[in-house]
Amino acid sequence: MSDIAVKIENLSKLYHIGEAASGSLAETISGKFKKVFRTTARQNDPTEFWALKDVSFEIKRGEVVGVIGKNGAGKSTLLKILSRITEPTTGKIEINGRVGSLLEVGTGFHPELTGRENIYLNGAILGMARAEIKSKFDEIVDFSGIEKFIDTPVKRYSSGMYVRLAFSVAAHLEPEILIIDEVLAVGDAEFQKKSLGKMQDVAGHGRTVIFVSHNMSAVKKLCSKGIVLINGSLSYAGTSEEAANYYFSNNNALHLVSIKNRKDIKGDQSILVENIEILNNRNNPVGELIVGESCKIKFSFSLREEIQMEKLFFAIQIYDINEKLQTTIASDELGINFPDLAKNGQFVIEIDRLNLRAGDYYINYMISKKVSNATPHVIINHLQHAKAFHVMTSDFYNSGVLLRSAGYLQDARIYTER
Amino acid sequence: MPKIIIDASTKGLNLNLKELYAYKDLLFTLAYRDLRVRYAQTVLGFLWAGLQPLATLVIFTLVFGRVAKVDTGSIPYPLFALAGMSAWTYFAFVMNQAGTSVIGARGMITKIYFPRLIIPLSKSIVGLVDFFVTFSFLLILMTYYGIWPTVNVVFFPFFLFLSLLSGLTVGIWLSALTVRFRDFQHIVSYISQLGIYLTPIAYPASLVPDHLRVLFFLNPMAGVIEGFRWSLIGTEAPDPLMFLSAGLMVVLFITGLYYFRKTEKTMADIV
Repeated sequence: MSDIAVKIENLSKLYHIGEAASGSLAETISGKFKKVFRTTARQNDPTEFWALKDVSFEIKRGEVVGVIGKNGAGKSTLLKILSRITEPTTGKIEINGRVGSLLEVGTGFHPELTGRENIYLNGAILGMARAEIKSKFDEIVDFSGIEKFIDTPVKRYSSGMYVRLAFSVAAHLEPEILIIDEVLAVGDAEFQKKSLGKMQDVAGHGRTVIFVSHNMSAVKKLCSKGIVLINGSLSYAGTSEEAANYYFSNNNALHLVSIKNRKDIKGDQSILVENIEILNNRNNPVGELIVGESCKIKFSFSLREEIQMEKLFFAIQIYDINEKLQTTIASDELGINFPDLAKNGQFVIEIDRLNLRAGDYYINYMISKKVSNATPHVIINHLQHAKAFHVMTSDFYNSGVLLRSAGYLQDARIYTER
Repeated sequence: MPKIIIDASTKGLNLNLKELYAYKDLLFTLAYRDLRVRYAQTVLGFLWAGLQPLATLVIFTLVFGRVAKVDTGSIPYPLFALAGMSAWTYFAFVMNQAGTSVIGARGMITKIYFPRLIIPLSKSIVGLVDFFVTFSFLLILMTYYGIWPTVNVVFFPFFLFLSLLSGLTVGIWLSALTVRFRDFQHIVSYISQLGIYLTPIAYPASLVPDHLRVLFFLNPMAGVIEGFRWSLIGTEAPDPLMFLSAGLMVVLFITGLYYFRKTEKTMADIV
């Protein structure tokens, strides 16, 4: 018996996007004619999209592997190919063992059928033989906790009961290789907790798990290995810790053009901002931060002429993607003066705990002379949309529930009183 | 432990009947689901399956039997038409249901792997139940008229099988084509509407002029229906021309399986 669970070699998947993909007969025929009459082969056909490009890796038996990547990076396509829903365009995969995925919870459930009938139906769809379902039937019903309603059509179930039953069947498939797409589970905390629990359980029994997630802390906590997909290519493979760090530092999509090339800076720029960096809690420059973790924002500057230090004002404003002001951090509010600026120095904003929920944000900054409270500032250097960053969710309160996205994270407690 | 190898560079198509057999439980479970769901919360239940062909039978008896006075020899017209109808209804059901089945199972196909052929195949089992409802009406009518099958009844299973094969052949081709070209969705209903008149259901094949016979018997159901009547109620034996279309069906069935397999590779992407 080989110790390789999954072996992927030069895997690529091409999608045809747009009308031609599943259009009518007439469109396809006219398309064929166009191809015939097109004299030169078109490079970079805009209707073609490589969801995966030349991906190769191996997963050993018993490994728990996290697949990391942004939306559209090819994670779902990879999962679809691994679970054999679709076939690759080129490349080869070898899978040793039964593959089960928690993406298919409730697939084929029919509302008119009873819970009992749906267990058999769903089990058969998942690839279980009737005898196998029969032997696990009691266990499945027990786990779901809906014994009383087992002979009621599932259309009369509450949505919670429905999910419990569906999950229960999927959880008893006992595959050698389990695929979990956590992205799909977001929004149902109960289900998410169960998925993760099941995953740890499965991994504990020496089986292979492939876990796709946006939640870096979960990947780090649960996985031993990690692979990073960027634009359909395998960008990094290593330990889950390394992979997560790699992903953070290379996720540059949200970075805007370099500040040196910006033409829309206001003020006389006697203080020239040369670079803005966002650092995570390990002091690595990143484009993504995690809710609740510490971070720093560093503005590297150089002085082009002498300025009056005691009246210097420095502030940033953080806006969300909808241009809504989220917060302001200003030197005068914090009672900070800048008695002595180096010729080449840095303004550092240190945040102990990032209270922004998951989402995309950007920073405006302002360096100015504040002559008095009543008069307008004299702008030295001011730029809007100077830097963008992304905040990722986490299980901040260790409750097993990922923080919901968007808005401000207000510290609070909830309790009851009588 | 199963070992699966998917290699995009292999050109040959493998029907993989072994895997299909491994999923036989799914075949029956899906058929069971369809049957349970179709008549759920109805009072008449499976009787509905027989009522539709009976309604058509009444119309045929009035139009072809009474008005047009089609000559059916010694066989009473209602019996003559119902025998043809029972075979046709089964064929049309399998073709219709199998033809649209893959699109209908979109939710399953895009979420999980199983041999997709199971979907159209399961419809042939569902259709059998409907067939036996209509068939029992036929038996009742035979008893009523006191007409009993001859020794030729031993060939009946052959014609039933041929009707299943024809339905599945057309159904499998249509289902695979429909995934890619939705045009075929509309073609299905034309086939069943026109087919009922182009097939000798309401009239005997002997009424067809000689120069059109080859064309007429290219329709696989022409031979099947003549065969149904011959084996059950002792009408004329079907024209040997039927073996032409039977052979054609076998060829189309096998090529259909391969075409379906080919489409299967990207079915989830375009369905």
